[in-house]
Amino acid sequence: MESCAQKKAYKAKDYKSDLKPIWCPGCGDYTVLNSITRALAELALPPEEVAVVSGIGCSSRIPAYTSVYGFHGVHGRALPVATGLKLARPDLTVLVTGGDGDGFSIGGNHFLHACRRNVDLTYIVMDNQVYGMTKGQASPTTSPDWEGSKLTPEGTGINPFQPLVVGLASGANFIARVSASDPINMAQIIVEAIRHPGFSLVQVLSPCVTFRPEQAEWRDIVRTAVVDYTDDAARAARRLMTDDGFNVGKVLFKGSRPPFRPEFEHTDGSVAELEARFAL
Amino acid sequence: MSDTQANTAIDSLPELLAHALAMETEAAERYEELADQMETHRKAGVAAIFRRLEKEEKAHLVELNEMCSRYELPHYAPWDFKWATGESPEAIAIDQVSYKLSVRGAVELALVHERRACDFYAGIAQRASDDEVRILASQFAAEEREHIGWLESCLADCGPDDGAIDDPDPPLSQE
Repeated sequence: MESCAQKKAYKAKDYKSDLKPIWCPGCGDYTVLNSITRALAELALPPEEVAVVSGIGCSSRIPAYTSVYGFHGVHGRALPVATGLKLARPDLTVLVTGGDGDGFSIGGNHFLHACRRNVDLTYIVMDNQVYGMTKGQASPTTSPDWEGSKLTPEGTGINPFQPLVVGLASGANFIARVSASDPINMAQIIVEAIRHPGFSLVQVLSPCVTFRPEQAEWRDIVRTAVVDYTDDAARAARRLMTDDGFNVGKVLFKGSRPPFRPEFEHTDGSVAELEARFAL
Repeated sequence: MSDTQANTAIDSLPELLAHALAMETEAAERYEELADQMETHRKAGVAAIFRRLEKEEKAHLVELNEMCSRYELPHYAPWDFKWATGESPEAIAIDQVSYKLSVRGAVELALVHERRACDFYAGIAQRASDDEVRILASQFAAEEREHIGWLESCLADCGPDDGAIDDPDPPLSQE
Protein backbone atom coordinates (compact mmCIF):
# COMPACT_ATOMS: atom_id res chain seq x y z
CA MET A 1 0.00 0.00 0.00
CA GLU A 2 1.32 3.45 -0.79
CA SER A 3 0.48 6.84 0.56
CA CYS A 4 -1.84 9.12 -1.44
CA ALA A 5 0.93 11.71 -1.45
CA GLN A 6 3.20 9.41 -3.47
CA LYS A 7 0.79 9.23 -6.37
CA LYS A 8 -0.79 11.98 -8.45
CA ALA A 9 -4.33 11.75 -7.15
CA TYR A 10 -6.94 11.42 -9.85
CA LYS A 11 -10.46 10.50 -8.90
CA ALA A 12 -12.72 8.38 -11.07
CA LYS A 13 -14.98 11.39 -11.45
CA ASP A 14 -12.14 13.37 -13.05
CA TYR A 15 -12.56 11.16 -16.13
CA LYS A 16 -16.29 11.81 -16.50
CA SER A 17 -17.73 14.61 -18.62
CA ASP A 18 -20.64 16.81 -17.58
CA LEU A 19 -22.90 15.08 -20.09
CA LYS A 20 -25.47 12.84 -18.38
CA PRO A 21 -25.82 9.35 -19.84
CA ILE A 22 -29.18 8.54 -21.37
CA TRP A 23 -28.93 4.77 -21.07
CA CYS A 24 -31.87 2.94 -19.55
CA PRO A 25 -31.74 2.72 -15.74
CA GLY A 26 -30.16 -0.62 -14.83
CA CYS A 27 -28.13 -0.86 -18.06
CA GLY A 28 -24.78 -2.60 -17.65
CA ASP A 29 -23.08 0.15 -19.64
CA TYR A 30 -23.24 2.50 -16.62
CA THR A 31 -21.12 0.01 -14.74
CA VAL A 32 -18.62 -0.24 -17.58
CA LEU A 33 -18.27 3.55 -17.65
CA ASN A 34 -17.65 3.54 -13.90
CA SER A 35 -15.12 0.71 -14.17
CA ILE A 36 -13.22 2.46 -16.96
CA THR A 37 -13.01 5.69 -14.97
CA ARG A 38 -11.94 3.78 -11.84
CA ALA A 39 -9.24 2.00 -13.85
CA LEU A 40 -7.93 5.26 -15.34
CA ALA A 41 -7.82 6.84 -11.88
CA GLU A 42 -5.93 3.88 -10.49
CA LEU A 43 -3.42 4.11 -13.34
CA ALA A 44 -3.20 7.86 -12.63
CA LEU A 45 -3.25 8.61 -16.34
CA PRO A 46 -3.63 12.31 -17.09
CA PRO A 47 -6.91 12.70 -19.03
CA GLU A 48 -5.11 14.45 -21.88
CA GLU A 49 -3.01 11.32 -22.41
CA VAL A 50 -6.00 9.03 -22.97
CA ALA A 51 -8.40 8.62 -25.90
CA VAL A 52 -11.58 6.59 -26.15
CA VAL A 53 -12.77 5.63 -29.63
CA SER A 54 -16.14 4.08 -30.45
CA GLY A 55 -18.46 3.18 -33.28
CA ILE A 56 -22.25 3.26 -33.08
CA GLY A 57 -24.67 1.81 -30.58
CA CYS A 58 -25.76 2.39 -26.99
CA SER A 59 -22.37 1.39 -25.58
CA SER A 60 -20.56 3.47 -28.19
CA ARG A 61 -21.79 6.59 -26.43
CA ILE A 62 -19.06 6.18 -23.82
CA PRO A 63 -16.59 8.72 -25.33
CA ALA A 64 -19.17 11.47 -24.82
CA TYR A 65 -19.43 10.61 -21.16
CA THR A 66 -15.71 10.80 -20.48
CA SER A 67 -13.44 13.83 -20.13
CA VAL A 68 -10.58 12.26 -22.09
CA TYR A 69 -10.14 12.66 -25.84
CA GLY A 70 -12.98 10.93 -27.62
CA PHE A 71 -13.94 9.92 -31.13
CA HIS A 72 -17.51 8.69 -31.75
CA GLY A 73 -17.04 7.29 -35.20
CA VAL A 74 -18.80 5.35 -37.89
CA HIS A 75 -20.65 2.07 -37.25
CA GLY A 76 -18.18 -0.79 -36.94
CA ARG A 77 -15.16 1.37 -37.68
CA ALA A 78 -13.89 2.13 -34.20
CA LEU A 79 -10.93 -0.23 -34.48
CA PRO A 80 -9.40 1.21 -37.67
CA VAL A 81 -9.77 4.73 -36.29
CA ALA A 82 -8.16 3.67 -33.02
CA THR A 83 -5.39 1.86 -34.89
CA GLY A 84 -4.57 4.99 -36.86
CA LEU A 85 -4.65 7.10 -33.74
CA LYS A 86 -2.36 4.80 -31.78
CA LEU A 87 0.15 4.56 -34.63
CA ALA A 88 0.18 8.32 -35.07
CA ARG A 89 0.24 9.05 -31.35
CA PRO A 90 1.88 6.10 -29.59
CA ASP A 91 2.16 8.20 -26.43
CA LEU A 92 -1.62 8.06 -25.94
CA THR A 93 -3.39 5.28 -24.08
CA VAL A 94 -6.12 4.30 -26.53
CA LEU A 95 -9.27 2.48 -25.45
CA VAL A 96 -11.92 1.27 -27.85
CA THR A 97 -15.48 0.75 -26.63
CA GLY A 98 -18.51 -0.68 -28.34
CA GLY A 99 -21.09 -3.38 -28.53
CA ASP A 100 -21.35 -6.86 -29.98
CA GLY A 101 -23.19 -5.75 -33.11
CA ASP A 102 -20.82 -2.89 -33.83
CA GLY A 103 -17.73 -4.97 -33.16
CA PHE A 104 -18.53 -8.45 -34.39
CA SER A 105 -20.99 -7.85 -37.23
CA ILE A 106 -20.68 -4.44 -38.85
CA GLY A 107 -17.04 -4.21 -37.79
CA GLY A 108 -16.34 -7.94 -37.82
CA ASN A 109 -13.57 -7.85 -40.38
CA HIS A 110 -11.86 -4.96 -38.63
CA PHE A 111 -12.02 -7.00 -35.43
CA LEU A 112 -10.16 -9.92 -37.03
CA HIS A 113 -7.42 -7.73 -38.39
CA ALA A 114 -7.06 -5.60 -35.28
CA CYS A 115 -6.40 -8.82 -33.34
CA ARG A 116 -3.97 -9.96 -36.05
CA ARG A 117 -2.20 -6.61 -36.22
CA ASN A 118 -1.76 -6.46 -32.44
CA VAL A 119 -1.52 -2.71 -32.07
CA ASP A 120 -1.39 -1.67 -28.40
CA LEU A 121 -5.12 -1.02 -27.88
CA THR A 122 -7.61 -2.07 -25.22
CA TYR A 123 -10.93 -3.11 -26.75
CA ILE A 124 -13.82 -3.26 -24.29
CA VAL A 125 -16.88 -4.89 -25.84
CA MET A 126 -20.18 -4.58 -24.01
CA ASP A 127 -21.89 -7.75 -25.13
CA ASN A 128 -25.64 -7.84 -24.53
CA GLN A 129 -26.45 -10.18 -27.40
CA VAL A 130 -28.86 -7.69 -28.97
CA TYR A 131 -29.01 -4.50 -31.03
CA GLY A 132 -30.48 -2.30 -28.31
CA MET A 133 -30.31 1.13 -29.92
CA THR A 134 -32.45 0.01 -32.86
CA LYS A 135 -34.96 -1.62 -30.49
CA GLY A 136 -34.01 -5.20 -30.10
CA GLN A 137 -32.81 -7.26 -33.05
CA ALA A 138 -30.67 -10.39 -32.89
CA SER A 139 -26.94 -9.67 -32.95
CA PRO A 140 -24.01 -11.95 -33.86
CA THR A 141 -23.78 -13.23 -30.28
CA THR A 142 -27.51 -13.91 -29.83
CA SER A 143 -28.38 -17.53 -29.14
CA PRO A 144 -30.12 -19.28 -32.05
CA ASP A 145 -33.41 -19.84 -30.22
CA TRP A 146 -34.03 -16.27 -28.98
CA GLU A 147 -37.52 -15.35 -30.15
CA GLY A 148 -37.73 -11.84 -28.72
CA SER A 149 -37.55 -9.97 -32.02
CA LYS A 150 -40.30 -9.83 -34.59
CA LEU A 151 -37.60 -9.99 -37.26
CA THR A 152 -36.62 -13.46 -36.04
CA PRO A 153 -39.83 -14.81 -34.51
CA GLU A 154 -38.52 -18.37 -34.47
CA GLY A 155 -34.98 -17.42 -33.50
CA THR A 156 -32.08 -16.96 -35.88
CA GLY A 157 -31.25 -20.65 -36.03
CA ILE A 158 -27.59 -19.65 -36.35
CA ASN A 159 -24.88 -20.48 -33.87
CA PRO A 160 -23.60 -17.39 -32.12
CA PHE A 161 -20.26 -15.78 -32.89
CA GLN A 162 -17.61 -16.70 -30.29
CA PRO A 163 -15.66 -13.48 -29.86
CA LEU A 164 -12.97 -14.74 -27.52
CA VAL A 165 -12.22 -17.86 -29.56
CA VAL A 166 -12.11 -15.82 -32.76
CA GLY A 167 -10.02 -13.13 -31.06
CA LEU A 168 -7.54 -15.71 -29.84
CA ALA A 169 -7.29 -17.41 -33.21
CA SER A 170 -6.78 -14.04 -34.88
CA GLY A 171 -3.93 -13.03 -32.60
CA ALA A 172 -5.29 -10.98 -29.69
CA ASN A 173 -2.56 -10.69 -27.08
CA PHE A 174 -4.75 -10.46 -23.97
CA ILE A 175 -8.21 -11.95 -23.48
CA ALA A 176 -10.57 -11.60 -20.54
CA ARG A 177 -14.26 -11.86 -19.78
CA VAL A 178 -15.93 -9.91 -16.99
CA SER A 179 -19.44 -9.26 -15.75
CA ALA A 180 -21.11 -5.88 -15.40
CA SER A 181 -22.41 -7.12 -12.06
CA ASP A 182 -18.88 -6.91 -10.62
CA PRO A 183 -17.57 -3.42 -11.37
CA ILE A 184 -14.59 -3.63 -9.06
CA ASN A 185 -13.28 -6.80 -10.68
CA MET A 186 -13.92 -5.21 -14.07
CA ALA A 187 -11.83 -2.17 -13.14
CA GLN A 188 -8.99 -4.45 -12.07
CA ILE A 189 -9.11 -6.40 -15.33
CA ILE A 190 -9.21 -3.18 -17.38
CA VAL A 191 -6.10 -1.98 -15.56
CA GLU A 192 -4.36 -5.24 -16.50
CA ALA A 193 -5.58 -4.99 -20.07
CA ILE A 194 -4.26 -1.46 -20.47
CA ARG A 195 -0.91 -2.42 -18.96
CA HIS A 196 -0.48 -5.47 -21.19
CA PRO A 197 1.23 -4.59 -24.46
CA GLY A 198 -0.55 -5.33 -27.71
CA PHE A 199 -4.22 -5.85 -28.52
CA SER A 200 -6.25 -6.54 -25.39
CA LEU A 201 -9.80 -7.84 -25.72
CA VAL A 202 -12.17 -7.54 -22.75
CA GLN A 203 -15.65 -8.98 -23.22
CA VAL A 204 -18.14 -7.55 -20.74
CA LEU A 205 -21.42 -9.37 -20.16
CA SER A 206 -23.47 -6.19 -20.00
CA PRO A 207 -27.21 -6.83 -19.76
CA CYS A 208 -29.74 -4.96 -21.91
CA VAL A 209 -32.47 -4.55 -19.32
CA THR A 210 -34.98 -3.22 -21.83
CA PHE A 211 -34.87 -5.62 -24.79
CA ARG A 212 -33.34 -8.62 -23.01
CA PRO A 213 -34.80 -8.27 -19.49
CA GLU A 214 -34.08 -11.94 -18.84
CA GLN A 215 -30.37 -11.01 -18.79
CA ALA A 216 -30.93 -9.65 -15.27
CA GLU A 217 -30.38 -13.31 -14.32
CA TRP A 218 -26.77 -13.13 -15.53
CA ARG A 219 -25.87 -11.68 -12.13
CA ASP A 220 -26.70 -15.07 -10.61
CA ILE A 221 -25.51 -17.25 -13.48
CA VAL A 222 -21.96 -15.94 -13.87
CA ARG A 223 -19.20 -17.63 -11.92
CA THR A 224 -15.59 -16.74 -11.29
CA ALA A 225 -13.35 -18.71 -13.65
CA VAL A 226 -11.55 -21.39 -11.66
CA VAL A 227 -8.32 -21.38 -13.62
CA ASP A 228 -5.80 -18.59 -13.93
CA TYR A 229 -4.65 -17.27 -17.27
CA THR A 230 -2.39 -19.19 -19.57
CA ASP A 231 0.17 -17.90 -22.02
CA ASP A 232 -0.30 -21.03 -24.14
CA ALA A 233 -2.68 -20.21 -27.01
CA ALA A 234 -3.54 -23.88 -27.64
CA ARG A 235 -4.51 -24.42 -24.02
CA ALA A 236 -6.50 -21.16 -24.00
CA ALA A 237 -8.29 -22.28 -27.17
CA ARG A 238 -9.30 -25.60 -25.59
CA ARG A 239 -10.65 -23.77 -22.54
CA LEU A 240 -12.57 -21.26 -24.59
CA MET A 241 -13.99 -23.88 -26.96
CA THR A 242 -15.51 -25.78 -24.04
CA ASP A 243 -16.60 -22.71 -22.14
CA ASP A 244 -20.31 -21.84 -21.70
CA GLY A 245 -19.67 -18.09 -21.80
CA PHE A 246 -20.34 -17.45 -18.12
CA ASN A 247 -16.86 -17.95 -16.66
CA VAL A 248 -15.88 -14.41 -15.74
CA GLY A 249 -13.63 -12.32 -13.58
CA LYS A 250 -10.22 -13.48 -14.67
CA VAL A 251 -7.79 -12.98 -17.48
CA LEU A 252 -8.00 -16.04 -19.73
CA PHE A 253 -5.01 -15.52 -21.99
CA LYS A 254 -1.90 -13.36 -21.95
CA GLY A 255 0.34 -13.61 -24.96
CA SER A 256 3.85 -12.30 -25.42
CA ARG A 257 3.71 -11.26 -29.06
CA PRO A 258 5.31 -7.83 -29.47
CA PRO A 259 2.83 -5.15 -30.49
CA PHE A 260 2.79 -3.80 -34.02
CA ARG A 261 4.63 -0.50 -33.73
CA PRO A 262 6.13 0.53 -37.05
CA GLU A 263 8.96 3.01 -36.91
CA PHE A 264 8.53 5.95 -39.21
CA GLU A 265 11.29 8.17 -40.44
CA HIS A 266 11.24 11.56 -38.82
CA THR A 267 8.88 13.85 -40.68
CA ASP A 268 7.70 17.39 -40.21
CA GLY A 269 4.11 16.16 -40.15
CA SER A 270 2.95 18.25 -43.09
CA VAL A 271 0.27 17.05 -45.48
CA ALA A 272 2.59 17.78 -48.42
CA GLU A 273 5.23 15.46 -47.01
CA LEU A 274 2.63 12.77 -46.40
CA GLU A 275 1.40 13.09 -49.99
CA ALA A 276 4.96 12.82 -51.24
CA ARG A 277 5.46 9.56 -49.34
CA PHE A 278 2.49 7.98 -51.11
CA ALA A 279 3.06 9.52 -54.53
CA LEU A 280 2.86 6.94 -57.33
CA MET B 1 -19.33 -11.24 11.03
CA SER B 2 -22.28 -9.98 9.00
CA ASP B 3 -21.90 -9.95 5.24
CA THR B 4 -21.83 -6.15 5.24
CA GLN B 5 -19.08 -5.67 7.77
CA ALA B 6 -15.42 -5.15 6.89
CA ASN B 7 -13.78 -8.40 5.85
CA THR B 8 -10.74 -7.69 8.01
CA ALA B 9 -10.16 -5.44 10.97
CA ILE B 10 -9.69 -1.72 10.47
CA ASP B 11 -7.67 -0.55 13.38
CA SER B 12 -6.14 2.83 12.63
CA LEU B 13 -7.69 6.24 12.11
CA PRO B 14 -6.18 6.82 8.64
CA GLU B 15 -7.46 3.42 7.50
CA LEU B 16 -10.94 4.16 8.81
CA LEU B 17 -10.96 7.62 7.23
CA ALA B 18 -9.77 6.27 3.87
CA HIS B 19 -12.63 3.76 3.89
CA ALA B 20 -15.17 6.33 5.05
CA LEU B 21 -14.06 8.80 2.38
CA ALA B 22 -14.32 6.19 -0.37
CA MET B 23 -17.69 4.94 0.84
CA GLU B 24 -19.28 8.37 1.26
CA THR B 25 -17.87 9.56 -2.08
CA GLU B 26 -19.20 6.51 -3.91
CA ALA B 27 -22.58 6.81 -2.18
CA ALA B 28 -22.90 10.50 -3.07
CA GLU B 29 -21.87 9.89 -6.67
CA ARG B 30 -24.15 6.87 -7.02
CA TYR B 31 -27.19 8.71 -5.62
CA GLU B 32 -26.41 11.55 -8.03
CA GLU B 33 -26.11 9.08 -10.89
CA LEU B 34 -29.41 7.42 -10.00
CA ALA B 35 -31.18 10.78 -9.58
CA ASP B 36 -29.90 11.84 -13.01
CA GLN B 37 -31.07 8.57 -14.56
CA MET B 38 -34.53 8.93 -13.09
CA GLU B 39 -34.84 12.58 -14.14
CA THR B 40 -33.80 11.64 -17.67
CA HIS B 41 -36.58 9.07 -17.67
CA ARG B 42 -39.07 11.54 -16.16
CA LYS B 43 -39.38 9.73 -12.84
CA ALA B 44 -39.56 12.85 -10.71
CA GLY B 45 -40.73 11.18 -7.49
CA VAL B 46 -37.98 8.54 -7.49
CA ALA B 47 -35.39 11.12 -8.57
CA ALA B 48 -36.33 13.33 -5.61
CA ILE B 49 -35.54 10.51 -3.15
CA PHE B 50 -32.10 9.90 -4.67
CA ARG B 51 -31.40 13.66 -4.97
CA ARG B 52 -32.17 14.21 -1.30
CA LEU B 53 -29.80 11.38 -0.35
CA GLU B 54 -27.11 12.78 -2.66
CA LYS B 55 -27.32 16.11 -0.81
CA GLU B 56 -27.12 14.39 2.59
CA GLU B 57 -24.06 12.40 1.51
CA LYS B 58 -22.37 15.47 0.05
CA ALA B 59 -22.94 17.35 3.31
CA HIS B 60 -21.23 14.48 5.15
CA LEU B 61 -18.42 14.59 2.65
CA VAL B 62 -17.63 18.24 3.38
CA GLU B 63 -17.09 17.41 7.06
CA LEU B 64 -15.26 14.22 6.25
CA ASN B 65 -12.89 15.88 3.79
CA GLU B 66 -12.06 18.46 6.42
CA MET B 67 -11.28 15.70 8.91
CA CYS B 68 -9.22 13.74 6.36
CA SER B 69 -7.09 16.77 5.52
CA ARG B 70 -5.45 16.43 8.93
CA TYR B 71 -4.08 12.96 8.16
CA GLU B 72 -2.02 11.27 5.51
CA LEU B 73 -4.38 8.62 4.23
CA PRO B 74 -3.20 5.34 2.74
CA HIS B 75 -3.94 4.76 -0.94
CA TYR B 76 -6.18 1.79 -1.74
CA ALA B 77 -6.83 0.44 -5.21
CA PRO B 78 -10.60 -0.06 -5.67
CA TRP B 79 -10.16 -3.81 -5.14
CA ASP B 80 -8.07 -3.44 -1.98
CA PHE B 81 -10.70 -1.85 0.23
CA LYS B 82 -11.88 -4.10 3.01
CA TRP B 83 -15.50 -4.25 1.95
CA ALA B 84 -17.19 -7.58 2.37
CA THR B 85 -19.36 -6.51 -0.59
CA GLY B 86 -18.07 -5.87 -4.15
CA GLU B 87 -18.53 -2.11 -4.24
CA SER B 88 -18.66 -0.12 -1.02
CA PRO B 89 -21.63 -1.13 1.14
CA GLU B 90 -23.57 2.11 0.75
CA ALA B 91 -23.51 2.26 -3.06
CA ILE B 92 -26.64 0.86 -4.70
CA ALA B 93 -25.63 -1.51 -7.48
CA ILE B 94 -26.58 -0.09 -10.88
CA ASP B 95 -28.28 -3.31 -11.93
CA GLN B 96 -30.71 -3.12 -9.01
CA VAL B 97 -32.64 -0.20 -10.47
CA SER B 98 -35.00 -0.06 -13.40
CA TYR B 99 -37.18 2.52 -15.06
CA LYS B 100 -40.12 0.76 -13.43
CA LEU B 101 -38.79 1.51 -9.94
CA SER B 102 -41.51 3.02 -7.73
CA VAL B 103 -40.91 5.58 -5.00
CA ARG B 104 -41.44 2.82 -2.47
CA GLY B 105 -38.95 0.60 -4.30
CA ALA B 106 -36.36 3.39 -4.28
CA VAL B 107 -36.83 4.00 -0.55
CA GLU B 108 -36.54 0.28 0.21
CA LEU B 109 -33.40 0.00 -1.89
CA ALA B 110 -31.78 3.01 -0.23
CA LEU B 111 -32.77 1.68 3.17
CA VAL B 112 -30.98 -1.61 2.55
CA HIS B 113 -27.80 0.23 1.60
CA GLU B 114 -27.90 2.78 4.42
CA ARG B 115 -28.31 -0.13 6.83
CA ARG B 116 -25.32 -1.83 5.25
CA ALA B 117 -23.26 1.33 5.76
CA CYS B 118 -24.40 1.53 9.39
CA ASP B 119 -23.50 -2.15 9.94
CA PHE B 120 -20.09 -1.55 8.38
CA TYR B 121 -19.22 1.23 10.80
CA ALA B 122 -20.86 -0.51 13.76
CA GLY B 123 -18.80 -3.63 13.04
CA ILE B 124 -15.58 -1.61 13.07
CA ALA B 125 -16.62 0.11 16.31
CA GLN B 126 -17.27 -3.28 17.86
CA ARG B 127 -14.00 -4.92 16.87
CA ALA B 128 -11.38 -2.16 16.82
CA SER B 129 -8.87 -2.11 19.63
CA ASP B 130 -7.98 1.56 19.11
CA ASP B 131 -10.19 3.89 21.17
CA GLU B 132 -10.19 6.70 18.61
CA VAL B 133 -11.25 4.32 15.87
CA ARG B 134 -14.06 2.94 18.02
CA ILE B 135 -15.38 6.40 18.86
CA LEU B 136 -15.23 7.72 15.30
CA ALA B 137 -16.75 4.58 13.79
CA SER B 138 -19.60 4.80 16.31
CA GLN B 139 -20.15 8.43 15.32
CA PHE B 140 -20.26 7.48 11.63
CA ALA B 141 -22.73 4.69 12.41
CA ALA B 142 -24.95 7.17 14.25
CA GLU B 143 -24.93 9.47 11.20
CA GLU B 144 -26.02 6.59 9.00
CA ARG B 145 -28.85 5.90 11.47
CA GLU B 146 -30.15 9.42 10.79
CA HIS B 147 -30.53 8.53 7.11
CA ILE B 148 -32.19 5.27 8.08
CA GLY B 149 -34.65 7.14 10.27
CA TRP B 150 -35.56 9.53 7.46
CA LEU B 151 -36.00 6.67 4.99
CA GLU B 152 -38.14 4.71 7.44
CA SER B 153 -40.43 7.72 7.80
CA CYS B 154 -40.60 7.99 3.98
CA LEU B 155 -41.49 4.32 3.78
CA ALA B 156 -44.32 4.80 6.25
CA ASP B 157 -45.71 7.51 3.94
CA CYS B 158 -45.45 5.40 0.77
CA GLY B 159 -48.44 3.55 -0.54
CA PRO B 160 -48.21 -0.22 -0.83
CA ASP B 161 -46.71 -1.68 -4.00
CA ASP B 162 -44.18 -4.36 -4.85
CA GLY B 163 -41.39 -1.84 -5.47
CA ALA B 164 -42.08 -1.53 -9.18
CA ILE B 165 -44.80 0.06 -11.28
CA ASP B 166 -46.53 -1.35 -14.35
CA ASP B 167 -45.56 0.16 -17.68
CA PRO B 168 -48.66 0.94 -19.78
CA ASP B 169 -46.47 1.55 -22.83
CA PRO B 170 -43.61 -0.95 -22.67
CA PRO B 171 -40.66 -0.84 -25.10
CA LEU B 172 -41.46 -2.91 -28.17
CA SER B 173 -39.15 -4.68 -30.51
CA GLN B 174 -39.11 -2.91 -33.87
CA GLU B 175 -41.14 -4.68 -36.52
